[in-house]
Formats: sequence, C-alpha cells, structure tokens
Amino acid sequence: MTVVHDARAFRALDSSGAPPLLAGTPWRGIAILATGFVIAAGLVRFDLLPAAALAVAAIATVHGGLLATAVAWSRPSPSSRERLTPTLVLAGTLLVASAATAVHPLGAIAYVAPPVAMARLLDPRRAVIPSRGMLIAAAVFGSGVGAHLLLATSSTLGHRPHVPDLAAAAAALGYDVGANVLSAECFFRGALFDRLQRRWSFTAAASASTAVGVGRYLVDPLLPKTPDALIGAVFYLGLLGVFNCWMVWRSGSVVPGIVSSLLFFAAYRLFTAG
Amino acid sequence: MSGDDRRAAATWIAGVVVGLLGLTVALAGVESPETSPIRDAYVIPVLGAALRFGLPGGILGASAAIVLQAPLVLPPIERAPAAAVTAVGGFIVVAVVGIPAGLLTTRARRRHARYETLLAVHRVLGTEACLETALRRLCACLEQRLHVAAVALVVRDGDDVTVGGGLAMVDRSPLHIVCETGRPLFVADTGGEGRPRRLFAAPLAGGGHAGALAVERFGDIDGDERETIVTLAVHVGLALENARLAARQRRFADELAEKVAAATCRLEEADRAKSTFVAVTSHELRTPLTALLGFSELLWLRRFPSDEVQRLAAIMHGEIARLVRIVNDILDLSRVERGVPLSLRRGALAVEPAVAGAIALFRAQAPARIVLDCARELPALDADGDAFDRIMKNLVSNALKYSAPDGVVCVSARVTGENTVQFTVEDSGRGIPAAALRRVFEPYYRAPDAAGATRGEGIGLAVVKSLVEAHGGEIAVASTPGIGTRVTFVLPAVS
Repeated sequence: MTVVHDARAFRALDSSGAPPLLAGTPWRGIAILATGFVIAAGLVRFDLLPAAALAVAAIATVHGGLLATAVAWSRPSPSSRERLTPTLVLAGTLLVASAATAVHPLGAIAYVAPPVAMARLLDPRRAVIPSRGMLIAAAVFGSGVGAHLLLATSSTLGHRPHVPDLAAAAAALGYDVGANVLSAECFFRGALFDRLQRRWSFTAAASASTAVGVGRYLVDPLLPKTPDALIGAVFYLGLLGVFNCWMVWRSGSVVPGIVSSLLFFAAYRLFTAG
Repeated sequence: MSGDDRRAAATWIAGVVVGLLGLTVALAGVESPETSPIRDAYVIPVLGAALRFGLPGGILGASAAIVLQAPLVLPPIERAPAAAVTAVGGFIVVAVVGIPAGLLTTRARRRHARYETLLAVHRVLGTEACLETALRRLCACLEQRLHVAAVALVVRDGDDVTVGGGLAMVDRSPLHIVCETGRPLFVADTGGEGRPRRLFAAPLAGGGHAGALAVERFGDIDGDERETIVTLAVHVGLALENARLAARQRRFADELAEKVAAATCRLEEADRAKSTFVAVTSHELRTPLTALLGFSELLWLRRFPSDEVQRLAAIMHGEIARLVRIVNDILDLSRVERGVPLSLRRGALAVEPAVAGAIALFRAQAPARIVLDCARELPALDADGDAFDRIMKNLVSNALKYSAPDGVVCVSARVTGENTVQFTVEDSGRGIPAAALRRVFEPYYRAPDAAGATRGEGIGLAVVKSLVEAHGGEIAVASTPGIGTRVTFVLPAVS
C-alpha cells in the first residue's frame, strides 16, 4: 500500500476561500455586445438593416457572451484585457458565421471558427482529455435520449422524423457545433457547474446549473412555445443537463457533454425538420 | 474496484438493460399497453438495479423504466383519460419500489462498511508497532476502506504531535483548525485545478486536543458519510488511547521484570555474603576463643612465674579486646540494618590524644610503620570517644592489613573551614579496584582479591561509615590499584 504524503489537510487553507460566483465576468465586453445588439435592433426597427440581422446580432451577443464568460471564468484572475479580447474575438467569429449562414446555409461552415477560437482561448491548464469510455457513454446516452425524443414525439404528437436537405442540415449542424451546444456546454457545464460544484454538493450544483441552462432554452425565440414543446424541452434538456454535469464531474471535461448534446440535437433537428 | 467487481457490475447492468428493453419490446406488442400486466414486471429489473447498486441504481432503474414505458403508455391516456390513473399508478409503483429499495440497500451497505472499517481500525492498532508506523498503516487502511484520495491523521499527547498521511501540520490548516476548535470541518474544495477535492475533518475521541482525522475525496462527502467519519474518528481516538495504555502497561511490566530480576540478584548476593560472613565470623571468633581456652588451661593447670603470668594475661586481654570489637561491630551493624540509631555519648574530645590512644596498640607492634601528622591547635571534637576509637582502629587496622610488611600508614588530622576536623588514613598497599571501590562500605562485602588474602568479616567499613554518619559526618575513599588507598572522614568540632 502506498501512503500519499500530499494530504491537503496539512496545508494552510486559502484565507480568501472560494472566489465570488461572478468573479472574472467580462462585464465590459458583455456591455459592448448588448449595446451592439440594441443598435442592431434599432437599425432593424427603422428598416436600415434586414430582419435577419436581428437574429445574427442575437446569436453573436448571447452565445458570444456565454463563451466569453466561460473563457474568463476558466482563468484564475483575468486582466481587463484578457476579458475583453476573447469577448470581441468570439462575438466576431459568431457574427461572421451567423451572417454567412443567413446569406447562404452553406455559410455555416464558418461556425468552425468559434470552437477553434475557444480551444485557443481557454486556459490550457484546464484541458482534460476524457477517457474513451466516457465518450462512448456520452454517445450512447445522447443518441438514446434523441431516439427517445423521436419515438415519443412520433407516438404522442404524431410527428414523423424528416431528414432535412443538405443546406438546412449544414446550417443546423453548424449552429449547434459553433454556437448552441458549444456555448451551453462551455458555460452551463464547464463554467457555471464548475464554480457551483466547488461550493455545493453535486446534486445542488447540477440542479442549479441545469435549471439555468433549461431556462436559457425556454426563453430562446427559436423554441416553439406550445405546451408539448415546453414540457418536452424541460424533460429532455433537464435529463441531458444532469447527465452532462455528471460527466463533467467524473471526467473534468466538457467534451463528452458536447458529444451527447450534439447527438441529441441532431435527433431534435430531425424532429423540427418535420 | 477490482476487475472481478467491474465484470460483475457490468453483467448486472447488462442484465437490467436487457430486462428493461425486453419488457418494452413486449409492451409495444400488446394492444393496450397502459393496462397490460407486463408493466408490473418492470419492478423486477428495477429492484435488481436497486439491490445491486443501491440508491443510484434504484433511481436510474426506475427512471429508465418510466422513460421507456412513457411513449407506449401516454398516447392511449390522451385518447382515453379515464385510464390515466392506472397508467400513472404503474409509474408510481416502479418509483416506490426502486427508490426506497435502493435507499435501504445503500444504508445497509454503509452500515456494514462502517463496522468492517471499525474492525479494520482495531486490527491495525492492535498490532505492536510504534505510533508513527501504526498511523501510517491506519491511513493506508482508511484510504482503501473509505475510497478516498487521502487520509490525514494527527495525534496529540501533550506537546507531542504525531502525524500520519503527511509530514507536518501548519497553522490554519484544516487539521489545525479542528484541533483548536474541537469541531468537525467541511471544505467543499481545497483548491487547485481540475475536479474539486472535498475535505472533511473530525476531532478524535477526547476532543480536538487529542487529535483529528481528515479524509479527502474527488467527489461528494455526503451527510451520512460525514456522520460515519465523525464516529470513526471517535473510535480511532479510543483505539489509539487503548493502544497507548497497552504499550505503557507493557513497558511497566518490562521495567518491573527488570527490577525484580535485579532485586533477586541483589538478594542472592546478600544471601551469599551473609553465608560467607557467618563462616568468616565463626572463624574470627574461634581464633581468640581458642587462644583464651589454651592460655586459661595453662594458667589453671600449671604454675608460672609472675612476669610470665602477666605476659599471658596481656595476650588474653588482647584476644578479649578483639572479641569485644568483633561483637560490638556485629551489634552496631545489626542496629543499622534494623534502622535503630546508634547510641552515642557525645562530648568534647581532644583530637590528638584520642588519635594517639587509638593507634597506640598498632604503634607498639610496628612503631616504624605508622606516621601521625596532626595539625596544631586542633579544636575538640563533638564525638563519642568509644566510637571515635573504633573508627580509627578499624581504618588503621585495615590500612596495615592491606599494606606490605614494610609499608607505611599515614594518619593525619586537619581543620576544615566549616567547623569540622578532617581525618585521613592513607596506606601504600595494593589498592582497591574501581569496581569494588563503590561497594566497600556495603555490609558483608569484601573486595574479591582481598577475600582470600586477609582475614576479615566485611563489616568493619560498614560500621565505620555508620558511626561517622551518626555523628553527622561524611566519609569517602579513594584508591589507585598498586599505589595505595586513602580514606577521609570528617567529624564535627565543638562549636
């Protein structure tokens, strides 16, 4: 038996304790993004920009803000510049990608940029390579929940899955890869759940971060506002959120969560395409 | 978890999954799944999951059963709401069976694990090992039993602090805080990147001043486990205290055995010495008695001229004086051994006449061998004259006895600065070995080389020491083998 001589019980506790929950948030960047969104909304309101510009600005603002916050929270004590630059870079890449997609669905290829930017901007000390078993479990769970979604909607709501055309599929996949799933997993699991689990138990942290994540989807204008859709969203996104929290808890990585969410949203796109 | 355990767990998971999927397929094939008895069979794999994996198994099994049934059971309810109670009741049954069964299984396992851990703790601390080794073993044992990343233990015994699972405790560390406050402490994250490392520390039995136990884990330490750790800390403290007491008892027993052996050895030696004393003394008493018997027979049976009678009477007187001295010595020693103080008739005693009187007999026999050196104007002693005479005679007799036939014995007296007179009897004899020097004042003791060479009972110096100390004086002996021996004693002067 090996005796570990690194018990932290012998070391002095950090007097400052855990940082405040919102410490390191790039408020200036978020304010700039919000201002840009308001200006874009005003220009659309006065027909100086097309209506699609509002969705483009919303994607850049919301997902850019979530990703920038995740980047800032991953650093121990980010400087003002370290907070602002990632915000502008991420929002910029998202703005370009969503605008390109709005111009042509195949422009969604530009959604490759945000994950690449995230990989470069995140603190490399936080990089954890998940095990193959975790990735397989994530794939099985994501596809299983997705399959259940399709089965349940087809049997209860009478929806039939439809395979979207290539352009629409590319647009949806690009949005999920570069914005939707990426921001949800990086912020709600990688940042928010990570901070909460350092204060509370797993159950409390997973419940809180999942609730906030589900809330984000419930106010998403892209989600249909019918009771069936809302109940389904709470159930499936809640299930997915808790499972992804557990995978972050076990592996320390958000990659398995991204895999399971992408597979689930792929099934969801089959449902919405109908 | 070992490889066998993993395989067994995987087999159970596969069985539960296959069971749930099989039932779902079977349910999909019936006409009215919401009222089908197949739904009741879902409790079997759910119960299996709960009994094998505890609460997580029960929750996941029940959730999976409900989620799998839902797409088949819910659509008919929408078409015929009257069947809703039956359909939802099936969900409730699965949940009510799975979750409490899992909860009870988890609790039973934890209690079993707690007892096993306590047993292991007592086994580890029951072995005869030093505290550091015992703590190291205990930390390793608890790490394995509690499935934690690290175990830290601090045991305090007064100012002594012994640590296990680490090197040293610093101020404001969790263990230090628990030791100071005597209350359990939970730290949700001890810092660092990656997964949060929880820590829970509890005081040992007897409070924080006795020590503390801390466990660290990359995972939750829930309330039930914290309660277990608090209980465990109490038992560890008690077991350590018992081990400490047992070790102390063993140490006392060993010390006692050593003392008994030493005392037995001393008693045996004393017994041997007394036997030797009886033999020697009998011989010493018989010699003058034989002389007295012979000379008295001669005086009784024959007639001698008056000067010859006087000579024989002087010899007889000398032998009688020797007998009296031996008997007095024996009586004095007997008093000392019984703790009875020696009776002294103290008074002012002039030093030079007293010394000269005591050694007169020896000087008459060998005038060239005794040198008397008394300082001028010596104060009178506050001493018993008879006792002083016996002291001097014993010492001078010994000095002559152990000196060569032509050796010189010096007797001197000096005033010391503390209203006392110091006497020295110095010979140029064979000397006393260092090992024997420490014991020359013990009753019945005779130095090994002296025992066969000269006559004596081994009580003279013991009596001298008793007499000197009875006067409130001190006596010391110094000797160099081959050079000679010097006995110095101090007696109080009249103030």
